[in-house]
Amino acid sequence: MRGNGFEPKIVAFLCRWCAGAGADLAGTSRLSYPPNAVPIRVNCSGRVEPAWVVEAFRSGADGVLIGGCHPGDCHYVVGNYKTRRRIYLLQKVLAEVGVEPERVRLEWVSATEGARFARVMREFVEELRALGPLAMNQEEKALPPQGGVHA
Amino acid sequence: MPKVAVYWTGGCGGCDVSFLELGPKLLDVLSQVEVVFWPALVDTKRQDLEALPGKAIDLALINGTLRTQENVEMVEVLRSKSRYVVAFGACAHLGGVPGLANLKSREELLVEVFGGGFRPTPPPGGPSEHALPELLPQTLPLAGAIPVDYVVPGCPPPPALIADLFERALAGDLPPAGHVFGKDKAVCEECPRKKEDRKLDKIVRPHELQPDGERCLLDQGMICMGPVTRGGCEAACPKAAMPCTGCLGPTPKAGDPVLAMISALASLVRAGEEGEAAFSAEDKVLDSLADPLGTLAKYSLPSFPRLARSCVPTPVRRGP
Amino acid sequence: MAAPNPGPKGPRVGVFVCYCGKNIAGTVDVKKVAEAAAGLPGVVYATTHEYMCSDPGQELVKRAIREQRLTGVVVAACSPSMHEVTFRRAAQEAGLNPYLLEIANVREQCSWVHEGPAATDKAVRIVRAMVEKVKGNHPLTPVEIGHSRTCLVIGGGIAGIQAALDVADAGFDVILVERSPTIGGRMAQLSETFPTLDCSQCILTPKMVDASRHPKIRILAYSEVEEVTGFLGNYRVRIRRKPAYVIADKCNLCGECAKVCPVRVPNEFDQGLSERAAIYIPFPQAVPSSYTLDAKNCLGLVPLTCGECAKVCEAKAIDYDMQEEIVEEEVGAIIVATGYDLYPKEAMAEYGHGTVPDVIDGLEFERLLSASGPTKGQVRRPSDGKVPREVVFIQCSGSRDPELHKPYCSKICCMYTAKHALLYRHNVHDGKAYVFYIDIRAGGKDYEEFVNRAMEDDRILYLRGKVAKVFREEDKVMVWGVDTLTGKRIEIRADLVVLAQAMVPAEGTWDLARKLRIACGSEGFLKEAHPKLRPLEALSAGIFMAGAAQGPKDIPEAVAQASGAAAKAVGILSADKLVHSPEVAEVDEDLCSGCKLCAPQCPYGAITVDEVAHVNEILCESCGTCVAACPSGAMSLRNCQDEQVVRMVQAALAEG
Repeated sequence: MRGNGFEPKIVAFLCRWCAGAGADLAGTSRLSYPPNAVPIRVNCSGRVEPAWVVEAFRSGADGVLIGGCHPGDCHYVVGNYKTRRRIYLLQKVLAEVGVEPERVRLEWVSATEGARFARVMREFVEELRALGPLAMNQEEKALPPQGGVHA
Repeated sequence: MPKVAVYWTGGCGGCDVSFLELGPKLLDVLSQVEVVFWPALVDTKRQDLEALPGKAIDLALINGTLRTQENVEMVEVLRSKSRYVVAFGACAHLGGVPGLANLKSREELLVEVFGGGFRPTPPPGGPSEHALPELLPQTLPLAGAIPVDYVVPGCPPPPALIADLFERALAGDLPPAGHVFGKDKAVCEECPRKKEDRKLDKIVRPHELQPDGERCLLDQGMICMGPVTRGGCEAACPKAAMPCTGCLGPTPKAGDPVLAMISALASLVRAGEEGEAAFSAEDKVLDSLADPLGTLAKYSLPSFPRLARSCVPTPVRRGP
Repeated sequence: MAAPNPGPKGPRVGVFVCYCGKNIAGTVDVKKVAEAAAGLPGVVYATTHEYMCSDPGQELVKRAIREQRLTGVVVAACSPSMHEVTFRRAAQEAGLNPYLLEIANVREQCSWVHEGPAATDKAVRIVRAMVEKVKGNHPLTPVEIGHSRTCLVIGGGIAGIQAALDVADAGFDVILVERSPTIGGRMAQLSETFPTLDCSQCILTPKMVDASRHPKIRILAYSEVEEVTGFLGNYRVRIRRKPAYVIADKCNLCGECAKVCPVRVPNEFDQGLSERAAIYIPFPQAVPSSYTLDAKNCLGLVPLTCGECAKVCEAKAIDYDMQEEIVEEEVGAIIVATGYDLYPKEAMAEYGHGTVPDVIDGLEFERLLSASGPTKGQVRRPSDGKVPREVVFIQCSGSRDPELHKPYCSKICCMYTAKHALLYRHNVHDGKAYVFYIDIRAGGKDYEEFVNRAMEDDRILYLRGKVAKVFREEDKVMVWGVDTLTGKRIEIRADLVVLAQAMVPAEGTWDLARKLRIACGSEGFLKEAHPKLRPLEALSAGIFMAGAAQGPKDIPEAVAQASGAAAKAVGILSADKLVHSPEVAEVDEDLCSGCKLCAPQCPYGAITVDEVAHVNEILCESCGTCVAACPSGAMSLRNCQDEQVVRMVQAALAEG
């Protein structure tokens, strides 16, 4: 990545119909934005599990973007509404354990909003640069292994 | 005669008492086994245990969470002397209620409980065998320290599951290692409450509501962990009008029950009334979930440390 | 389900990185991506090609599948919306299950928006994640389904009529449902059509007659779709037929009933500019050709209060005991053509809130121009019946106004306003017309020329600017506007103001969409599966759309779309068998506790729960919302399972 400054790592879960198509349009329109996010396509933002978001943080992400359709615009009618509530509750719990809720960003981007997608990316990267690395990923281990039963 | 050990690390003692729930069956069991180590029942000490030859114990049932260095040492000894080790009860299985302490660092906890000047070790007069055992940085489930063969889950384990363990052990019919006694399906399967109106219009705490006797508690606004929690308890709590708190731990593929329930609960809020206009009303419902982690991670935090570990240990000010 | 991939010998994934000429290779080091891919666990083959989608490129993929015995393929190229189908077909031809091939989008979402080493680094991450996905994919087989050969068309306007005729002409039965007493829709209300100035009814009524005489078309007018269940090829519809209280076959249109009816209510067909009786026919050429008794406005049927109409009906066509009827049909495909309404004048605070009688909307003006209208085609203003000498036309009234009204362009207003101005001038030779416009949008065959005709008329003045305020002053309507070309404030004492109101979806579109389980966009128009490439289809397979229900459009576009939708519907009706994507949700019955949390998540009603949940794999559209809601992990989405995504996340973030 560029410069000496901190470059956040981002996972972007993009729904195929709106945000993903919007990202494609940003490409077709050659609207450049920082390359920090790796996109993962899902059919609907409603498929995104809170567990994936936490997994991304544990795997080194500094931010997670979930891109869905605008309210009223969801290809699956109401999937994005469920996502909004799930992320809202997840953010509350993350805040309780010291993860800034802004690190999880839910954005509505339509298939025609390539410019908006690029802007969201630029903004998110800027915000994460300001926030700095995710503290829990900076900690030293001496921590317990994943629990469970040893077979 | 099979040799049995029972040991209690960081726990409340309820698991030891739970054996009594076997009733007359307990006599059958006790007549068929030899108890070689059970501090709560027979006068046996660590030295007695250490004196045993390797694998002298057939079945070691360990309950309680691991909080101190001494806990770890003891279970390591038990492991080396036992053919089969069973994590018995929610604390050994998952970390249990004491595991919620993992939301804080050890240093924060000590300050919280004993005040800022507390220095646990060494005790006045220098190190000695009477020193308090060192606290671990985090609470651990049993499997965090030693390999575990079986789990009898629950807080405390339901008698049917304890009986199942003994019956199969005595018949020489133990399942493959890794087995968790209990069902793979969630508590809802055993729960007689009617699940019809699947939506959440409000969230209440158990003391705030006299629930309808027939309907699902979740539908009435109580946070019931039944849908994510392993069955095997015959839905004892929901039957008694108390929501499931998740003591048997998550079902095999649920992952972290906190995250699974975040997704499930949020999905249910005002289901069927979706719309942009409803956003603030939806948020209000979710805001009324008091103490989300204490509710959703009541037993499981040390086993699913992804959230707990994210706590940044804050530097503790020590005495001069 | 079939055996999972990786097979017993572990995965053998091939990665194919496309240069896309310079489109990808211009910024991404394609060779480096292939090298990085070659080093990934499970990847046994990685290569590049100038144009992977070309025949030699596809051949390369196919040969590698066969020679390397690949169990999975990742093509790193353009967006999967471009060539996923191409490459999956190629995989199938080479003997690899098509669902074991995935596209890594390194063009639209990488090479076109980034540069430098960072672009290559991101491409590697994207490929790495996709390799993990492919390793977890299962081979799947599309689900086959049998189906009905009947088509349901909802809405009897020009789009619905055209769609019905085209499907019927192809040899399939059609049920055409219209909620008003006649088919014909908005087009029947229009005076003349741009740019040819054809008489609208004259060109429409032959089509209405064709539809009514067609042996394959069954018209259910005065009917509404009550409920739709089922799925592609097998929709079950319940249609509520409202009682018309007139037996259509007996009615001879003598009109005596309406003459004796004591009730007078605003006539909807004339946009309320005239009155009708409670028993009425919307217009003489209505289809079905019959009077309708509007029970809501009748003095009373139960008990019978008046009964005058039956007394004078010689044909004995009036039946007060007629009952509502529910028609149940199985249909294979559905075409939705429910049309538009005009954005209400009442919403235009700046233009008098709809309270000024001589401020009317475009459809009202159509009725004033129409020979069959309330003034017999004479332009007379509503307040006092005088011929207006000065008329102001305001375009974009409610359109292109994201702050206060609708953000979109209603598309037809530039054209019909030009038509209105011209027709007004034909009608009132010494009249003067003013047209306020923002821009002129006249894209269409002969459209620009048509608007120019209006602009060249020396008594039609086009003013570029917005009108700030319209209000009544004595018997005039004051129009305050600005001409942005001269920068001058304009004040006109007009006799009549015509607002080119924005087009909005017809009332009830949203409710119908909910019944059909299809989506509406944020402005309430039906949402197509893809704005460019699947503009006629709803996302729910087997449901198509035509006409202004999908967005503002004019008659030729609506007709073209209707014929297109009909062709798509015929494609389904005529198919030997139908297939549905197998990448759907599925339940692990050994884990499902029957908690029922999943069922209300499904917008398609695809989940039923008894002891355990069941997914109707034909109804399921693969959104995965139920999967995320399932707390026990019993529900999963094929080829988008939790473990797969978790590994994708890890691979995307891994260092090195």
